[in-house]
Amino acid sequence: MNDPVPVAGDFLSLLASRHISAMHFEPNAGAPVQTQATTVFALQFADGILMAGDRRATAGNVIVTDQIDKVIELDATSLLAIAGVPAMAFEMARVLQTSFEYYRRSQLQMLSLPAKVRALARLLRENLPMTMQGIGVVMPLFAGVDHGVSPAKPEIFFYDPLGAQFRAVGFCASGSGSTTIRSILSYQDRFGKPRPSEMSLREAVQFALRLLMVAAEFDSATGGVNPSAQSFATLKVLESTGVRTIGADQQAEFVGQ
Amino acid sequence: MIEEPYRWLEAIANRREYVRDQLKGGSPVFAASLPDGILLLGVGGGQSKVFELFDRHALAGLGHPADLEKIRQAAIDSAHLEAFTRAPEDVSLRRLVGFGLSPQLKLNFEQIFSAPYLIELLLAELGTAPGNDLLLRLHFDGIFQFQSGGIMVAASQPEPEAAARTWLTQGLAGKEKRSDAAEWMLQTWWLLSEKKSFSEAVPPETERRAGWRSAIEGKMIEIGWLDRGGQRTARFETLTAAQLGL
Repeated sequence: MNDPVPVAGDFLSLLASRHISAMHFEPNAGAPVQTQATTVFALQFADGILMAGDRRATAGNVIVTDQIDKVIELDATSLLAIAGVPAMAFEMARVLQTSFEYYRRSQLQMLSLPAKVRALARLLRENLPMTMQGIGVVMPLFAGVDHGVSPAKPEIFFYDPLGAQFRAVGFCASGSGSTTIRSILSYQDRFGKPRPSEMSLREAVQFALRLLMVAAEFDSATGGVNPSAQSFATLKVLESTGVRTIGADQQAEFVGQ
Repeated sequence: MIEEPYRWLEAIANRREYVRDQLKGGSPVFAASLPDGILLLGVGGGQSKVFELFDRHALAGLGHPADLEKIRQAAIDSAHLEAFTRAPEDVSLRRLVGFGLSPQLKLNFEQIFSAPYLIELLLAELGTAPGNDLLLRLHFDGIFQFQSGGIMVAASQPEPEAAARTWLTQGLAGKEKRSDAAEWMLQTWWLLSEKKSFSEAVPPETERRAGWRSAIEGKMIEIGWLDRGGQRTARFETLTAAQLGL
């Protein structure tokens, strides 16, 4: 039997042609139900998009670590924030990172934003059996730069567990702590002075850190931010020119520590 | 022919001669390991010559565009499969070429009823320090040579290539800036293109500088840079001649 010929630039079909599975998890009726835990969010501010995540990973009521990075740079102009079961979420991030770079290098052009958004939706759909069992739910946020408009513009997308994709206007949040901060984001967006879209980088970082502090107050599965103990969040900024990380030192400077 | 080995040898010799003849008009490409990274340069007349392969790997080549494209694609496929099934840190030029590209090229070259690849290639792997950089010269018949750091040239004919490499290595001794490297590479490109001698009276610098500037009219300088100090995992970027002040 002949191996399938890979579609040019499609890393998943290259894997299939070599009989390698990108994401292969066998649903198991005996698997325990996992607690989801996280607070990740993205908001438009004056210079672009700020994507933030707490750093806690939990299994049930056990804190596994407070050093995890949930905002991942997929390529020079795309960010992924993961919420849900880390095993699936990190594997999705790895598949996307390789796929985007493979396309760019092999086809000598960057994958378009709609194609990137759909690539993540496709992985979520392939993860459906695990999602339906309740042991592999992933609800990510995605941010990418739309080069199809002039000037190029960063956009935020969110997904449901089945893979439906939605463009966010202004902000979106995911994870167990998101319900708390969604209300605050909505309030700030409607009545705040400044509104998130008017904030400078300093103001946006201060706002994001405070949101995570509040989320941690009501959700034990969200790791807090404690500037006095030099405990900060994962923050990345996506501008039309690319991605940059707001490290702990800069976060400390912005909150006056 | 199979029963008459001498005819096979003759066919291989003819094939080698045919490939060299086809490559005669090819525009040479260069690579130099510098303190801050690896610079790759080529001058194209409408076809690309310098490419990114993987995070720390790049390729420059001359020859038939379709053949260059096949090898480039094979290298990118192998590198990304390796990175995905193991880790990006496991992608190495030695394995990529030694176990992948070289056997493929040799097999193709010795299958005398199929069309040979019309290519000459340079590959580069960025290390943590210049001493850990790897430059590799890969020929159309699968033969390859490794080198740690230094300078490498790929041209269509072996003798001028060796002379150009020696001359360029001497010229770049003690020079660390990528703009200097690019300037000297372009001068070497002009000397090779004009079939000037590297052993006898080499034209003075003013003539060489004016020479390449006049010769590149209607052509495009392609410059690739593997940045040792880059913060992103993908260290390759393309530079323009203007960015290097040329």
